[in-house]
Parts: sequence; C-alpha cells; structure tokens
Amino acid sequence: MNNSFVSKETLNKILKELAAAEDVLLYAPVLNGKVLDFAEITDAEKIAISDDISYKSPKEAFMPQAENLMTFSEGGVLESAYDKKTVVFGAKPCDAEALRVLHAVLMTGKFQDPFFERRFENSVLIAVGCASEKPGCFCTERGFDKEFSDFSDIMLRRDEGGTGYTVTHLSGKGRELLSEFNETKGIEAAKRTAKAQGTGMKKLELDKSIEDRELFDIIDWDKATEICQGCGMCTFICPSCHCFDFKDVSTFSETKRYRCWDSCMYPQFTLHASGHNPRASVKERFRQRVLHKYLYINKIFGYTACTGCGRCIRSCPAGMNIKKIVESIMEVLP
Amino acid sequence: MSFDAQREKIKEICKDLLEKGLVETVIGYAEGGIDGARIPYMFGTPEGAKALCWDQRCVVNLCTYAYEKRDRKTGVVAKPCDVRGIVNYIAENQLNRENVYIIGVDCDGMVGADGEKLPWCAECSVKKPPVYDVKVENPDITDGESAKKEEPSSMPGDFAKFQTEISKCILCYSCRQACCGCYCPVCFMDRGVPNWQPAEPGQGAKMMYHLGRASHLAGRCVECGACERVCASGVDVRYIIKEATKFIEDVYGFRAGFDTETEPVMAAYDPGDREIGFLGGEKHE
Repeated sequence: MNNSFVSKETLNKILKELAAAEDVLLYAPVLNGKVLDFAEITDAEKIAISDDISYKSPKEAFMPQAENLMTFSEGGVLESAYDKKTVVFGAKPCDAEALRVLHAVLMTGKFQDPFFERRFENSVLIAVGCASEKPGCFCTERGFDKEFSDFSDIMLRRDEGGTGYTVTHLSGKGRELLSEFNETKGIEAAKRTAKAQGTGMKKLELDKSIEDRELFDIIDWDKATEICQGCGMCTFICPSCHCFDFKDVSTFSETKRYRCWDSCMYPQFTLHASGHNPRASVKERFRQRVLHKYLYINKIFGYTACTGCGRCIRSCPAGMNIKKIVESIMEVLP
Repeated sequence: MSFDAQREKIKEICKDLLEKGLVETVIGYAEGGIDGARIPYMFGTPEGAKALCWDQRCVVNLCTYAYEKRDRKTGVVAKPCDVRGIVNYIAENQLNRENVYIIGVDCDGMVGADGEKLPWCAECSVKKPPVYDVKVENPDITDGESAKKEEPSSMPGDFAKFQTEISKCILCYSCRQACCGCYCPVCFMDRGVPNWQPAEPGQGAKMMYHLGRASHLAGRCVECGACERVCASGVDVRYIIKEATKFIEDVYGFRAGFDTETEPVMAAYDPGDREIGFLGGEKHE
C-alpha cells in the first residue's frame, strides 16, 4: 500500500470518532428524505458518501444561518464563546474554492470578521474530488479542476476499485488531524496539482477592468430575469454568498445579537427607512447578484465568487441559469 | 390527441392572438431547463410561438407571471391548476378578467426528471380547465377521481410528524414566492411591526411560518404543488395546507379556483356558518 492511501475502513473509523467527540463539530452530507443535505452529524452511520452534490453548501459550518454573537445585559456585554473544532467532510472542490472567496472577503479585506475567522481557523476541510459532472455543473468552464482544490486541508480522491481514497493534498491543519490517528500517522499527499481546465475553451469570467455601469444595460436584463420569481433560494444554497444582517432579540433581562444570512434577492435587502428601494424589482436584484459575483468581488479581491457548483441552476424553481446570463454578457462584450 | 397535436394547436392559437393584437404577451413553456425541464417563456411576436413547448415536463405554474403582468393583456397557456390560480386572482380582485386570455389545456399530470408522475399531479382530480377563453382538449383525458387516493387526515395529534417535516426547512421562503396564493406586498413574516419572525431560524420560526401560511391559504389553495416542487430541502410543504383545504371543503363545501363570481369562502360571512370554523367552536372530527 502506498503512503498516501486511506482505506474506507480507516476513514469510517476516523469519522466515527470525530462524530462522537464532544469538542468537535462534524459536518457532512446526509440523506434527508430524498434530498442530499449538508448538516451537522452526531452519528457517523448517517453520513451519505456519494458523488452527488448536496443541495445545501457547507458554508454553514463557517458562517451559520444564525449565529449569536454577543449578549447585552445589566452585567455588560458578553461575547459568545466558541471553542469547538469543526471538521467538514465531503465538501467538493467547488466548495473549497468557494471557501477561498469567503476567506478573502471576510479575512483579508479592509474589515476583518473575527467570528468567521475563529471558525475558519478552528476548522479542517476534508474535500472529496468529483468523479463526474452533474447536470448544471460548470466548474470546468469556470476553470476549476473537479477533482482537486488546494484550498482544502485534506483532499481525497476516490479509488477506482472503491476500496478507499488517495490523499492528494494536505495542509498543516490536515496533517495535524490525520496524525491524531495511528492508521494515518505520517501520511503524505500524492503529488498532484490542479490541472488546467478547459483548454481551448473561453473561461467563464468577466474582465475586472470593466466599469459596472457599462454592464447595467449591456444585455436586456428585463428579458433575462423575467422568469425569476425572486425567491432567494439561490443565495441560501450558494457556497460563496455571504451577505448578512443583524438582529437583536430582547427579553426582560437581556438582549441577544444574532447575525443571520440575508439575501440580495429579497426586496427588504435594500429597503430604506424612507420607503425608497434602490433595487425595487427582480431585475435590479438579479443583476446585482450576477455582477457582485462576477465583477465587484473580482475587482476588490481578485476572485470571481462563483465556482460553478451549479446549485442555483439545479434548485431554481423557474429555471434561471446564471451561466447562460454571464455567457450572454461575454458574447456582447468587445 | 397527443401532446404534439396539443402543442401545434397551442402554437396556432398564440400566433393568432398576437397577430390579431388581442394580447401583448403570451406566457407559455420553452426548452431551457436542466434535465429536459421546461421553463416559463414569454413572447410578444407571432414568430415567438415557434419556440413553444408542450409535453410532460411543463411543470411551472404560470399564473404568477400572469399576475406580474396584470396591467396589460396577457395570454396564458394554462393547465387546470394554472387556470384555478388565475381564477383565484380574479375572484380576489387581483386581476381583471379582461386582462387575461386563458388558453386552457387539458392535462393528465406532469412528470419529474425521473419520469415519475409528480406527487401532486398523482393526487389531482381536475384534469380539465374549469374556466377558459379557448380550449385545447385532449379526448383521452377525463375529469374524475384521482388515481391516488388522498391520505386520511393526519391532523389530530400528529404534531410529531409536522415537527419532523418542518425541521428540514431552511426558511428561504421559496414556497411563498412560487405560490399563487401568496401575493401580499409584504408578507407577515417580513413585517417589522409586529415582528412575527423569531431571529433564530429554529423550530419556532418555522412553525410560525408554516402554520401562518397554511392558515392564510385556507380555502385558497389551488393544489398546483408549486410550493413543494420549489423546495430544495424536500419539505412536504403541502401536507399541512392539504389539511386546511380539506377542512374548508368539509365544512363549507368550497374549493378555490372554479368560479370567478363566487365570493372567496374566507371573505364571506353568513350567520348560519357552522361554528366549527371559529376558534373554540365545535370540535372537528
């Protein structure tokens, strides 16, 4: 057996121990009825290992849908404690790439997010490469390798025989986690780097030197967004969407401040106190979503905040397709 | 008459409507979804009719788009459930009858990507449009009893099932957006004052939302299944609303979306109404 191989049994044992450990939060894909969910796991038996992509993304492990940040009471302000280690198993390379975007936006910019940071620093991301592209997937067009992302802590590739996994990438955090188990002590990653994708194909992205105003009327946004129902599900299941809102919940003795996911697809997102709404219709909201992902974040951080996981395309109740919209913009750009 | 024949007739009708200028826009279905799903398609020229599709994958309820375009004359390729949605809008004074041209299409139920009939279609008993301006019939389809019998009422005491079902919900409100009965400019869940929504998206908030929505839809649901279809988390959203629909039918003998003239049941009051519909009234068996 080579030095970068982890057998199925070893992996199951590791997951079982992680699920049982009290100081570790384990997130993994799990079958919830008919749909593949991504959730916190306490019973390793329930983990659904498959090549399918969960409808939810693993971003919840780094930025929960609602997170209590602090509590105000007569005694003062108490910041909520967080001392657990998080292990995310079964993310896809596109999810790892999305985490790279979240990391850039929330930790390297003008403003640092300590709440994301403490979760990120305390986490180990175990990603498993995809064997096939699913309907709606377009990571290849976005220039990513469906089998590999070096933003993961441990990158696994399923062996063709189905007996186990080959480790193709290890970070310090990943190495540390594996060294805690006898079976995987001293494991080394097989040599592998991300393969250049889509040779001869035009990568799906927008040039960051474009002025946003130029794109406001470049395509018929009314036509492009007329079937959108504005439900906002795309933002909730997107691995790189990260907008949030604060909410204070008061009882007689204390007030808890929560950070909750928000969505640019909701009319309330930009509603002013005066009643004016600068993004009054679905057209403006969807345009914002596309341009934020493909242009604004690219301008500021150098990444496109869409990794081609295809979740929004697969789950859209109306059949909106962000890939087709970006393609139509690229077509008319000089 | 097969789907193909129906489709050709739909194309002909839509082309004719636009040529004669009877409508500004037509809403139908076209290719473009993943896995062969059909997506809503709007066009305003007679040539646009060429791209129209009609087959077993035309699942999206189009009446919400007709509502969006309520200020102008619109033609809608409407399955019976789409028609019932439109009728509901008209009965609730949200849509002018003159502004919508209903191309009523007989429908035996739609299928999912796996080729299996969708659960709400399997339970459907309305296969012919109750209201229409022009009909696209299929003599093979007859109205009647649904193939699959409704499950017996699971309401009394089945709180655990409800709790398990809504625990999957992520409160994205997609079901509300897709629903033709949910057209409030500001949903009760989005209101700041009073704030109905607990900050934590826990069971409390989910219960508040699903029970609130179900009670608002009592006697208004047209059973199109849009809510459940859009749910990415796989919540059986219809389950609780089905109970409300059944209750209204049992007590008041009313089903939504069949008649534009009848006052919506929850908007009408008659002193002779059974007290069962009131809080603390007689017990529902």
